[in-house]
Amino acid sequence: MEKRKFGLAMSLILASGTLLAACGGGDDKGTGTDNGKDAVKIGMVTDAGTIDDKSFNQNTWEGIKKAEEELGIQSKYLKPAGTTEAEYLKEMGNLYDAGYKFIVTPGFKFETAVFHAQDKYKDAKFVILDGNPHSGDFKPVVKDNTVAVFFAEHESGFLAGVAAALELKEGEAGFIGGMEIPAVQKFNWGFQQGVKYANENLGTSLTLKAENVVYQGSFDNVAAGGQIAAQMYDRGVDVIFTAAGGVGVGAINEAKTRGKAGEKVWIVGVDSDQYEDGKYDGDKSIILTSAMKKLDNVTLDIIQRELDGDFPGGETLVFDAKNDGIGLPAENPNLSDDTTTKVKEVFEKVKSGEIKVASEQGSLFK
Amino acid sequence: MRNTIVSLISIILGLIAGGLLMLFIGASPIEGYTYLFQGALKNISRIGDTLATATPLVFTGLAVAFAFRTGLFNIGAAGQMLIGGLCATAVALTFDLSRPILILVMILAGIVGGGLWAFIPGYFKARFNVHEVVSTIMMNWIAYWTVYYVVPGYFKGEFLETESRKLAEESTLRTPWLTEMFQGSYINLGLFFAVIAVIIIAFIINKTTLGFELKAVGFNRHAAEYAGMKVNRNIILSMLISGALAGLGGVALYTGNASSMQIGILPSQGYDGIAVALLGANSPIGVFFAALLFGILYSGTGFMNAMIEIPPELANTIIAIIIYFAATSVMIHRLLNKFRKTRSNANDVNGPVGKKGEA
Repeated sequence: MEKRKFGLAMSLILASGTLLAACGGGDDKGTGTDNGKDAVKIGMVTDAGTIDDKSFNQNTWEGIKKAEEELGIQSKYLKPAGTTEAEYLKEMGNLYDAGYKFIVTPGFKFETAVFHAQDKYKDAKFVILDGNPHSGDFKPVVKDNTVAVFFAEHESGFLAGVAAALELKEGEAGFIGGMEIPAVQKFNWGFQQGVKYANENLGTSLTLKAENVVYQGSFDNVAAGGQIAAQMYDRGVDVIFTAAGGVGVGAINEAKTRGKAGEKVWIVGVDSDQYEDGKYDGDKSIILTSAMKKLDNVTLDIIQRELDGDFPGGETLVFDAKNDGIGLPAENPNLSDDTTTKVKEVFEKVKSGEIKVASEQGSLFK
Repeated sequence: MRNTIVSLISIILGLIAGGLLMLFIGASPIEGYTYLFQGALKNISRIGDTLATATPLVFTGLAVAFAFRTGLFNIGAAGQMLIGGLCATAVALTFDLSRPILILVMILAGIVGGGLWAFIPGYFKARFNVHEVVSTIMMNWIAYWTVYYVVPGYFKGEFLETESRKLAEESTLRTPWLTEMFQGSYINLGLFFAVIAVIIIAFIINKTTLGFELKAVGFNRHAAEYAGMKVNRNIILSMLISGALAGLGGVALYTGNASSMQIGILPSQGYDGIAVALLGANSPIGVFFAALLFGILYSGTGFMNAMIEIPPELANTIIAIIIYFAATSVMIHRLLNKFRKTRSNANDVNGPVGKKGEA
């Protein structure tokens, strides 16, 4: 009996061996898939969330894709198994070993991983968006093969605040933030200054109360976002600026529900043009406008500079109104022409430095 | 012998299935597998990463296998890992002890945390006959939300609400000489603890009265009771040890491979432990090698993904399929049993695994 069993096992192994061999035979020709052998290889490691997260990952990836179309680079993104430093470093190592020696990392969560990677892979180049490499002590160390990119979120928030005030003329505004981190706080402070500026100089009266400035504490709690938005709308808020990733999605959903029921409520989107995300009842959208950070343009721009042999290694770049790194969408179907023109004027003033938007809290709420 | 063959067949089946999927999406399986193994084993630092990836799986595999031997399904390894890791992290962030003592206390905290988390379902099973599958899964979610509350509440990171403070380098399981030896890999002391755990558990199962009693309860609870063994005590004890092992896995994961705890994540290693135990035929040595294989698969995915033209989501699917088939060893066991037992009408051995007593 023992023998028969063994024989069966052996035959199974043999059979599977043949199958495996058969698999191998047919596909030796399928190797020449990569287009252009000499193309520069640009890699990206995704942050928490998927590549289609309508936020950091997606916007950055779109920039790389644009570079692929316009500049003929070769691109690849890897999705780490988790969001620890070790897992980020592992995927960076994988990209490096596969010849992707220009690696883009979206988000401040990569700070410590890039800090180690810039030393470990000296002949590779790193771009970190919204963060500074550091060893865990928050003292930035940007080596010659790394460029750190920041955005002037406060200017973007300022423009959104001005636009919201101009469009609504009067009413109440609110703010929902994700985590209380600098990028989100700057959006908030800028927005408050924008509303204030419009009230003082452009004859609007949009109010913003302290109780309507809330940080939820995460970027992924969709349900909580909906609840906070509902409470604000019930308190009489007309427009909410969300800088909160998935939490903002919850707020948008809540606003859409109210919009369908005929209530007049608005959301100001963040990071990318969220107009499409706010659509309901066919072609109406709950998104008044969006305070954008042009991650895609900036990514494309840095890749272009790398190809030109002009990689800004060791630098910490700030993208603001001056270099068009931030702004409102080109098309804002929910803003009147009058608002659009006036916001454009304000944008020019910010650009020229006539209006200074503070990136500090000062006397503002939270 | 038989177990080894069955496991090998399952692995080959898994590789074939994964290869078929690669063919289906237009990639070459030979190339894919070459890169997969290169990614895991190409250089010394990658080997270190692979071993580190396998370490928590050794613990959870052992945890599940140990409970299996007593006829218990411990599905709660994930939750026990979380609590074990949380206790160890709390110790490391709270007490300022010298390194050897601190690590010893962290390990003890992990054992106590994980053990407690499995003791509760074990007690309910023994006392009220509540099925342990249900109660351990429930305990997973209690652990998940406990971490969700405790980490931001007491060990909040500087900016991040979703992560605990980072452990200082000297209060993690990483040691400079290992990191240097493996050229910057994140391999850590956890691996040694895993090897020690394998030896101890093998000893308990095969050489002690306790092990004999536990296996007896697994074979036939009523016969064991009739023979005068304290069945209820053995059930609780088995769960306790199983949970302690999973807790240690948490220590290895959160204070070795990582250096902080993140909220809102149930570690996948908990459920993978079931597959590891099945593939390892519930023997400690088998579990060790099965965990190594899983380590290779998980560790090599990224490189395979970077080298061949497939999206990351599909790369993960390929690995999942290999694992799925690798865990079909039970089916193959049954199949072989059927061939063998066509003449006798004896009932198949009940329980999740063909022959529980066999090592």
